[in-house]
Order: sequence, then structure tokens, then C-alpha cells
Amino acid sequence: MSVDRERRNVAGFINVQSALPTLIATASILSASGSAVVAGDVSDVSARTASVSDKSNEELLKKMRAMEQRIEMLEGKLKQQKQGSATATGSAPQTTAPAQAAASPAPARAARAQATSAWPPTGAPSPTPTAPANNGLLGLTDSPVPGLSLGAYGEVKFGAFKNPDAGGKWQNGFDVHRFVLLPTYAITPNIIFNAEIEFEHGGIALDADDKRHGTAEIEQLWIDFKIHDKFNWRSPGVDLVPIGYINQRHEPTQFYSVNRPELYNGLIPSTFMVPATSIYGRLMDGLSYQIQASSSVEDFGDDFDKRTDANSVPLGGYAAGITGLSALHDSRPVVGDFRQLNNTIAYAGKLDFAPPFVPGFAGSVSGYFSPNITPRGAYADTGATLGRNSLALFDAEFRYRVPSTGLELRGEYVRASFGNPANLRANNDSDPTNNVGKSMFGWSGEVAYHFQLGTILNSEWEAVPFYRYTYQNLQTNGFAGTDANEPTGAGRLQFYTAGIAVFPSPKVALKATYQKVKNKDPGGANSDSVLGGVGFFF
Amino acid sequence: MTSWIRLAAPAALVSAIAPPAYAVQYLSIAQAQKQAFPSATSFAQVDARSWKAQSGGTVLGLIVVDHVIGKHLYIDYTVALDPGGRIKRVDILQYRESYGGEVRDASWLAQFVGKSSASALKVDQDIRNISGATLSSHHVTEGVKRIVAAYGNRAR
Repeated sequence: MSVDRERRNVAGFINVQSALPTLIATASILSASGSAVVAGDVSDVSARTASVSDKSNEELLKKMRAMEQRIEMLEGKLKQQKQGSATATGSAPQTTAPAQAAASPAPARAARAQATSAWPPTGAPSPTPTAPANNGLLGLTDSPVPGLSLGAYGEVKFGAFKNPDAGGKWQNGFDVHRFVLLPTYAITPNIIFNAEIEFEHGGIALDADDKRHGTAEIEQLWIDFKIHDKFNWRSPGVDLVPIGYINQRHEPTQFYSVNRPELYNGLIPSTFMVPATSIYGRLMDGLSYQIQASSSVEDFGDDFDKRTDANSVPLGGYAAGITGLSALHDSRPVVGDFRQLNNTIAYAGKLDFAPPFVPGFAGSVSGYFSPNITPRGAYADTGATLGRNSLALFDAEFRYRVPSTGLELRGEYVRASFGNPANLRANNDSDPTNNVGKSMFGWSGEVAYHFQLGTILNSEWEAVPFYRYTYQNLQTNGFAGTDANEPTGAGRLQFYTAGIAVFPSPKVALKATYQKVKNKDPGGANSDSVLGGVGFFF
Repeated sequence: MTSWIRLAAPAALVSAIAPPAYAVQYLSIAQAQKQAFPSATSFAQVDARSWKAQSGGTVLGLIVVDHVIGKHLYIDYTVALDPGGRIKRVDILQYRESYGGEVRDASWLAQFVGKSSASALKVDQDIRNISGATLSSHHVTEGVKRIVAAYGNRAR
């Protein structure tokens, strides 16, 4: 039998297989509910006739008419359902499905999701009789459109923290930090739509009684053109800069602390999302790359509406995007409304490797370079114009799960270098404490151990206690600019982070983290915290 | 603005001239059959998703094709079983998502070889988790385990 014929048979089989159980299921559910309703009504009727003998025939007729209408309605519904599933499965050829395959309705749903369209492509196999249901929408229900799925991830956090702005007093708090919807649609086998719609800190509400001041934003939006294993194109859109590990894989099941690893709070301003296009591919087993061109980081940290209509910085002073206290945290380019503050295109590249000869090891090196991050019209408080300044980021990281043990090690190094720090706004904003030197860097080392907890509530649980040390120096030597230079030491930070992440499934993480923060500022309060968190990703 | 055009043009050109029928399919079912049972002279279809590999009158084993969800999209793969029900080979036919393609690495797939329905076939036990492809590695492992359970005693 030729492969083509086999494929056709497989396709035919899917159609029949998917149509039958669905129809049977819907029919039986509907008829069951229908007969229940009818039965209920009938007993109701007989009860009434028995107890109230002088009920008029008219009333009975009325009741029967109502029943008739109900039956008609249910029949209509049944018909609709039948038509619905018939459309979904296409015109099912009358082939005989193998008996064993029809045993489970689950693959029928999976199959329905792929029938009628070109997706999945020719040669795509059918699911096994034992395959789990393809619940394309949040794991709850079938996708109404073949190839469309909707995933989600999110993080809920709570606990106590030392608030530096309250003199280091401990305070309790809660944050529904992120809830992100992930629509994916395989338009064709080669053209794949991807997006992330993110709500942060509970979203936005303008009513005073709702008290929410978060974000609703498009965090990712692009279409992938799968051309060749070694070469694919990601259309212009909003995408993540390929730097470090956590920036692109920032779901809470990827790390063990409640908050993202510290290096991703400023040195890598995750979620570092930019207007971008890229190419990527897999060069060989265990080696893949991505090269991206994007709208540059901008050294502007003020509110969006402070930028002028001329897309330049406002008069009367403005906040720096890059400082010696918060690193690159406020420097991400805007993704909306043609409001970028310079014309610069930045470039980023990443090599991911997982050498086959070191099982359990994965790592990456990545870099980002912008020839000029100075926004239009940038100036020093002295009135002097600020000229060009380049930014280069470098990251190297590894993750190593020692084979046949629960031991996992992670390490990372990040460095940001400035071509001409004299042109950074932070060095010219009359604030002598937030200055930036020639570079910033940070590194972290983490050790974790995976314990299997056995089967609880029908899934296999895992507990991962961990400890991470992070050092960051955001205020190195080489300051240049018009400010006085009096760094307090607040830009030199050490984080001691310990905790446990419990995974009831690979898709859910229950976390508890204690973090001690030290900086070199003798007068400053530190933001220690004891946090709990719930994260999910599916 | 012109920068965008400049940047996008080469990629657009490549995608335009790339053969349109070429999906990112790494193996066809027939190729996977050949790879798993190079000495087979024929493949007799058993049911819609499995074939018996034969050489003359001898049954060499069974190959089963299946798919699982990776993160959002399907991963198509085959599992070849020897007559004793042990895994001879696992191949990924298609992987559609942008992240997590590491399940295709030969060294990761090689871990399945020799396993049977008596094996744990669990990530973090006898199969390594893949950093960055957690869901894909779990789902493929679960899929292989199901196939071994369903077809393990039917490969002779």
C-alpha cells in the first residue's frame, strides 16, 4: 500500500471515528436530558390530575402544548448538534473504523480538531486510542477552530516584605502579578500565529472603587513562517529579545523563586519585549540560534505621555531610562503608536546548546547591541545636548541537571556596557546618586534538588528546594557626565534567595521563598521578603 | 521605516521562493518505518496507526504512529517495538512550535530504546527532563508510555 493511500485511509478513519462517538454522545446526553424533562412534566401532570380532579381540560392541553414545544426545541438542538459535528468532521466517508479505535471518544475530539482543514499537514498521523483529549481552550474544552489553541500562564504572589520606602518596616501584601492568555493558531502547517495578552497587577480599572492600576498589554504578537528546520522567519511584531534563558521562557514553572531571578529585573529588563523581526533555526542536534533586529532600547524612563508630539524628550527635565539603581528596567522601547524616540535598529543574537555528550546540560550565550540609545532631543540639566551612546549586553548561562540524580545547578553572567556613558541621562540629571559607569554586571549561582513526592491527587508531585546567590554591580567605575558623582552604594547588591517550589504537575508550581537583600548603602533600607506564590502554565 | 523593509526583505524573499509544499516535516511515516526496520521487506498495516514490519515470513516488530500536544500544537512521532514489546526506536516526524524542539535530539530519544511496559517511562525517573522543553518532554514521554502499554504485547 502506498503511503499516500495509507494517509487517505487514515484521514477517512479519523472522520468516521470522530463523527460517531460525538454524535452518539451528544444524542444520548440530549435524549437523556430530554426524557428527563418529559418524564418530570408527565409525572407533574399526572400528580395534578390525581389531586385536583376539577382541573379543566384546557389547562391540560396547554401543558401538553408546552411539552410539545419543549420536545421540538430539544429536537432542534439535537439536530443542530448533529449538523455542528458533521460540519466539524467534514463529509465522513463510509469506511469501517477498526473496533478498537472507536472505543474511546477522546481521540475523536482530537481528530475533529484536525479534520477538514489542511492542518495538520499531509501525512499527519491519527491519535492513538489512548491519547488524552485535545482540550485546546485552556485545557477545558475543544477548540472550535482546528489548529487554534488558547493557553495561559500566571503568577499570584503574597506575603510580607520590608518596604524601603517605609523605613524598612515589614508589610503584608498580595499581587495577582500576571495573568497571560496565549492564543496560538496554526494558520497552515508552515504559518503559525502566536500572541501573549497580558494583564498585570489585576489589570486596569478607572473606577475609584476598583482600585487597580496595572496593565493590559500585548506582550507578544507575531507570525512564524516555518521554512526550513535551519531557517525560519518570525514576522515583524512584538517579540522577546533573545537574551538569557528566563527572558524568553519566563513562565513561573521555569524558575523556583516566587519572583523572577534578580538578573532579570534590571540588567535584563524582563519581560524584555520589543518591536522586532527575527530568523531562527536549529543547526544540528542540540544547537539552535536566533538573530533578531528590533527597535532600540531608549534612555527615557518617564511616562509615555511625556514624550512630545515630535517624538522627542520633553522640556523641563525627564527621568532616565537607565540608572545605577534600576539598571535597564525603564528603558524598553515602546511598542505602540509610532512613538519610538529614535530611529535606531538594535540587533540581538543567541546560541542555545545542549551538547549530546553532556546529558542534562543546557546553556546559551546571547548578546544585544544598539548603536545608539540616546533619545531625540536628549539633554543634560546643564542644557548641553547629549550625543550618541551605544549599549551592548552579553549573557551566558547554563542549566545542568545531573543525570540520575535530583541535583540541578544553574549559573548566569550578564554584562551591560555603554559606549559613551557621558551621554546617559542618569549622569546628567542633577541626581548624584543614580549615576552609571562604563558598565554594569551581575552573576548568579543556584543549586536545587528535585525530590519525587509520589502520586497525590492522581498526579506525580515534585518538590524542589533551592538556594540562589546573586551579585549585581550597577555602579562600576568609569563615570562620565555633568552630575556630581556620589553613589551611595545602593547599586551594589547581593541577594540571598532560598525556598521551595512544589510542582503538583509540571504545569503548576506552589512556591515559598525567603530573600535577604544587602546593598552597600549604609543608610538604605533593604527589601527583604517572605513570599508565597502560585504559578501555572498550560 | 525603510529599515524594516530592508530587514524583512531577505526573509520574505526566501519564504517566497522556498518550495511551497515543503512543510517542516522531518520524516514521513514511510521514512520512519525504514529507519526503524531497515531490513524489513514489507509493512503490513494492522490498524489505522500501526504497521507490522516483516521480512519474508518473519515479524520484525511493530511501528506505531501517534501525536501528542507539545505546548499548544501537535508533535507527531513514531514508536517502533520489537517482537518482545521493547522499544526499538522513537522518531519525531513533525514538531510545529517555536520553542521546545529539543525533544528531537537523538540523544534524548535514544533514552527510550530498550524500555518496555515494565519500565517507569517517566520524566525525571528514567527519562531526562529537557530544560526549556518541559511540557514537550513530558507529553512525548507520556505518549510513548501509552503506546507501549497499548501495543507492547501485539508486536509479535
